[in-house]
Amino acid sequence: MFLKQFLHYIYKLVKNNNGEIMDNNEYDKLVKSIVKSENPIKNILIAFISGGVMGVIGEMITRISLNYFEITKSDAYFITFAILVFVASLLTGLGFFDKLLSIFKCGLIVPSTGFANTMTSSAMDTRSEGFIKGIGASIFKLTGSIILYGVIFGLIFGLIRGVLL
Amino acid sequence: MTYYFRRVYINNKYSLLSSTKYNPIVKDNVDKSMHNYYLNQKTIELAESKYQEYSIQGLLLKSGLVSKNIDLLISGDLQNQILASTLASSKVNIPTLGIYSACATFVEGLCIGSMFLENNKGKIIVTTSSHNLVSEKQFRFPVEYGSIKKRVNTCTATGSVSALLTNKKSNIRIESATIGKVVQTNHMDANDMGSAMAPSCAEVIYKHLYETNRDASYYDLILTGDLGEFGLKITLEYLRRKYKMSFNNVIDSGSIFYKDENIYAGGSGPICLPLVLFDYIIPLKKYKKILIVATGSLHSPLSSNLKIPMPGISHAISLEVDY
Repeated sequence: MFLKQFLHYIYKLVKNNNGEIMDNNEYDKLVKSIVKSENPIKNILIAFISGGVMGVIGEMITRISLNYFEITKSDAYFITFAILVFVASLLTGLGFFDKLLSIFKCGLIVPSTGFANTMTSSAMDTRSEGFIKGIGASIFKLTGSIILYGVIFGLIFGLIRGVLL
Repeated sequence: MTYYFRRVYINNKYSLLSSTKYNPIVKDNVDKSMHNYYLNQKTIELAESKYQEYSIQGLLLKSGLVSKNIDLLISGDLQNQILASTLASSKVNIPTLGIYSACATFVEGLCIGSMFLENNKGKIIVTTSSHNLVSEKQFRFPVEYGSIKKRVNTCTATGSVSALLTNKKSNIRIESATIGKVVQTNHMDANDMGSAMAPSCAEVIYKHLYETNRDASYYDLILTGDLGEFGLKITLEYLRRKYKMSFNNVIDSGSIFYKDENIYAGGSGPICLPLVLFDYIIPLKKYKKILIVATGSLHSPLSSNLKIPMPGISHAISLEVDY
């Protein structure tokens, strides 16, 4: 027993490990060799088709509202936007939208439906924390950046268009 | 540092599985299985504390004790400021230590409890819980937000597990424990927690075997926490490259947790390892010497936003099981 412990002590001295981990770059290479990045082509194709279908639906709503109501074109776009946001929010509230999204991918995220989903889901999550500190404070938690940079870049490009063209 | 224990036993356990989505492997063996995210509570956070309360009370009932027989409750979970544990322990009236090391919480609790029991007599309950929706909300995106899942994502298990530690002899003995260090690499992707935890897991396995002067074949089974299928591969490759060690007795409880084929790399959460250990591995009656290595990724939404690489921690405990 004593001899075994002594041998172990010698072994520890010889094979000293001062607890340094693998070099960071080497570890990154190891991770990359095992976690293969997924092939985006399939997702891109799905998003291309589903995004196109969304565009067709939006255009249909615009045309229909232009034909049936006597409104201007910009009003028709507004109606389209409102309908898409309403449907997406409703589906989010009923719990279907994330399942749809896992099938149709970015085709549903990039149009205004993605915006509606983000906003509604943030609001639903914080509903239990109250109307002011919960919903009011957090509804734009993820979409706030879309609004902020949308306004800023809208201004910039508006200026460019107004000055240069 | 490795600590040896002579008289610490796991006497009883109570496991509550609250989500049967994707068909968990432990579904038939747990003490109570249901599919209920709310348990008549107003919010999911309160529901998680209810899970924990149920599992503590279930354990007391199962082992024929009342709360005043218990000297210490060690509990932890994944919520902000371990809210679920705090609420649950306020209901059961036992002196409490709250701990946090993400998904390694349960094994950290076992380490602390064993050290307490080695020098004192007493009864200790170690408990932990996790809730899929709470951790989605806490660490990822809002629950109904349709984020696109990657193959490396893990799916947090829902439920609660409690274990009773005493000096009274039983068939599961805690033999030794190695407490691991926090290991930080350059890894930043918060979706891929397996790669953040793998180095700490490999280091603690090596350290345990080195300090106890054992071979990998000494253990019938090395059960890691919730590395996921990629994390397990990285750990084994890490050990092979850095320490020239090869293992053929490692199972990752996260990767085997869900039986159904799904889009995730496996299960995660602090209850993943204890559920698989108590309700899948031990009922198999196959493995006598088991090394459990719980792994946790100590990142938070704040640390991800500050672009701090994800730190990982692991603790190992060696169990001797008689059948």
